[in-house]
Amino acid sequence: MKSRTIKVDYLARVEGEGALHVKIKDNTVVDVKLKIFEPPRFFEALLRGRTFHEAPDITARICGICPIAYQMSSVHAMEDAFGVTVDGQLRALRRLIYCGEWIESHTLHVYMLHAPDFLGYPDAIQMAKDYPDIVQRGLQLKKIGNEIVALIGGREIHPINVRVGGFYKVPAKHELSPLAERLKWARDAALETVRWTATLNFPDFEQDYEFVALRHPEEYPFNDGRLVSNKGLDISVHDYDNHFIEEHIQHSNALHSVHKGRGSYFVGPLARYNLNFDRLSPLAQETARSVGLSHICRNPFQSIIIRSIEILYACDEALRIIEQYEKPDKPALEIQPHAAVGYGCTEAPRGILYHRYRIDDRGMILDAKIVPPTSQNQKTIENDLWQFIPLHVKLPNDQLTLQCEQAIRNYDPCISCATHFLKLKIDRV
Amino acid sequence: MHEFSLIKDLIRKISTIAHEQHASKIISVTVKLGALSHISPDHFRDHFVLASRGTITEGARLNINVIADKTDPLAQDIILESIDVDVQLYT
Repeated sequence: MKSRTIKVDYLARVEGEGALHVKIKDNTVVDVKLKIFEPPRFFEALLRGRTFHEAPDITARICGICPIAYQMSSVHAMEDAFGVTVDGQLRALRRLIYCGEWIESHTLHVYMLHAPDFLGYPDAIQMAKDYPDIVQRGLQLKKIGNEIVALIGGREIHPINVRVGGFYKVPAKHELSPLAERLKWARDAALETVRWTATLNFPDFEQDYEFVALRHPEEYPFNDGRLVSNKGLDISVHDYDNHFIEEHIQHSNALHSVHKGRGSYFVGPLARYNLNFDRLSPLAQETARSVGLSHICRNPFQSIIIRSIEILYACDEALRIIEQYEKPDKPALEIQPHAAVGYGCTEAPRGILYHRYRIDDRGMILDAKIVPPTSQNQKTIENDLWQFIPLHVKLPNDQLTLQCEQAIRNYDPCISCATHFLKLKIDRV
Repeated sequence: MHEFSLIKDLIRKISTIAHEQHASKIISVTVKLGALSHISPDHFRDHFVLASRGTITEGARLNINVIADKTDPLAQDIILESIDVDVQLYT
C-alpha cells in the first residue's frame, strides 16, 4: 500500500438535471423513461404558516425565467379566496407584465435553445458565429421583454412589485411611452422571427393530442378564462382537482400530471394557439396564415413558429395596453382575509400553472398546491418519444440523441435551464 | 439548488480518478471555493459528507481553501485541486 497525492484541478459543473433512458431491442423501442432528478424543493410545504400576501414573492422564486406566472397564479388564487376581482387598468397592467414575460421567455427558447437544434449547432454561442444578426436580434428582443418586467415589476428577475390586490406602485402614463417606441421595433423583430422560424425544416410528426389551455370570452388567455380542451373539457378553474391528478412515479422527482379519464395532455403555446386562434390579434392571425399555418397545428416541432407568433401577439397586445393606459387611482384593492380556499390558473409561457391555497381566518396559508406546466407535459413528452424514436431508430446513437433532445425541447421543459440538461442513454439489446 | 448537482459531479469525478489510479481508499480531498461561488465552506462540507456516503470518498478528510479575491478568474468556481489516495501496489 502506498499513499500519493493526485493533482486534479477540475472545475465542478452543474450536472444535467434530466435524463432520458431509451431501451431498444431489435430496432424496436421497448422502454422510454424521462427522468428528472432535480431535487424536490418543497415549496408547497414552505408556504404553510406564511401569510397570504407572501405567496407571490415566495412562489416567484420557483423560476427565474417565469416568475410572473407564479406571481399571477398566486395572486389570482388569493383574490379568488377572498372574493376580490381586480379589473380595469390594474388588470391591464397584469396583462402587460405577462406580455413582458412571454417575450423574454419565448425569445430565450426560440433563439438560444431551440433554433440551434434545427440549424445543427450545440448552442447559440456557436450559432452566433454563422448567424450573428439573427442571434443579436434575439438578444434585443429578449431585452425588451425584460424591460417591461423591470418597469412594471421593479426588476427583471424575480420582480417585487406584484401584490395580492394589484401592485405596490403603478407607473404614470408617460413612464410607459419610451417602452412603446421600443415595442414597435420588437413587433417588427417578432414578425421577422415568425418568418425565419417558418423556413426551418420540420420532421413530419403529428399526434392526436388532448390540448388543454385557458379560454377567455374575448382575449387570448393570460390570467383568466375557463379550462378547455379539444376533447370536450370545459371547466372552471375551481374544478381542476376533479379532472386532473398528479401521480408519483418511481423514475422521476417531478410528478406526472394526468387527466383522470384520458391520461396525458398537452399544455403550452401549441395548446393555447389551437384553442384560441380566433382570439389572437389580426396581425398575429394574418402572419400565421402568411407562413402557411392553419388555425390548428399538431406538429410539436413547429412549436418554435407558434412561440414566435405568441411573441408577436405579446408585442402587439403590450402596445395596445400602453396606448389605452391611464394611471389607476389606487395601486391595489383592499384585501380582508378570511378562512377560505382559493384557486388560480394562468398561462405561464410553458402552459397552465395551477395554484390552490387553503387559508385560515387570520390569512395564514394552511396548505398549498402548485402544478407547473412541465409536470403536466412530462407524460406527453414520453409518449412523443415512444412514437418518434421508431422513425429514427436506424440512426447512429449520437444522431438519435440529437433528435430526441430536439423532440424534448419542443416542450421548452423547465429542466432546460441547465445547459447540458439532458443525459441520453440508449441501450440497444 | 444547484449544490446537490455540483457536488454529485465532484464525487463522480473523484470516483473515476480513484478507479483509474487503482486507489483502495481516499485519504483526503482538497477543493478551492471561489469568493463568488455562492457556497460557504460549512455548507459545502455538509453537502459533501452527505453526497459521499456509500462511495469510495466516504470518510475522506476534506480540505477547503477559499479564494478570497473576487477578481480572481476562478472566483465563481469550485475547483477540485487534488486528492490523496492509498494505492494498491501490484507486484
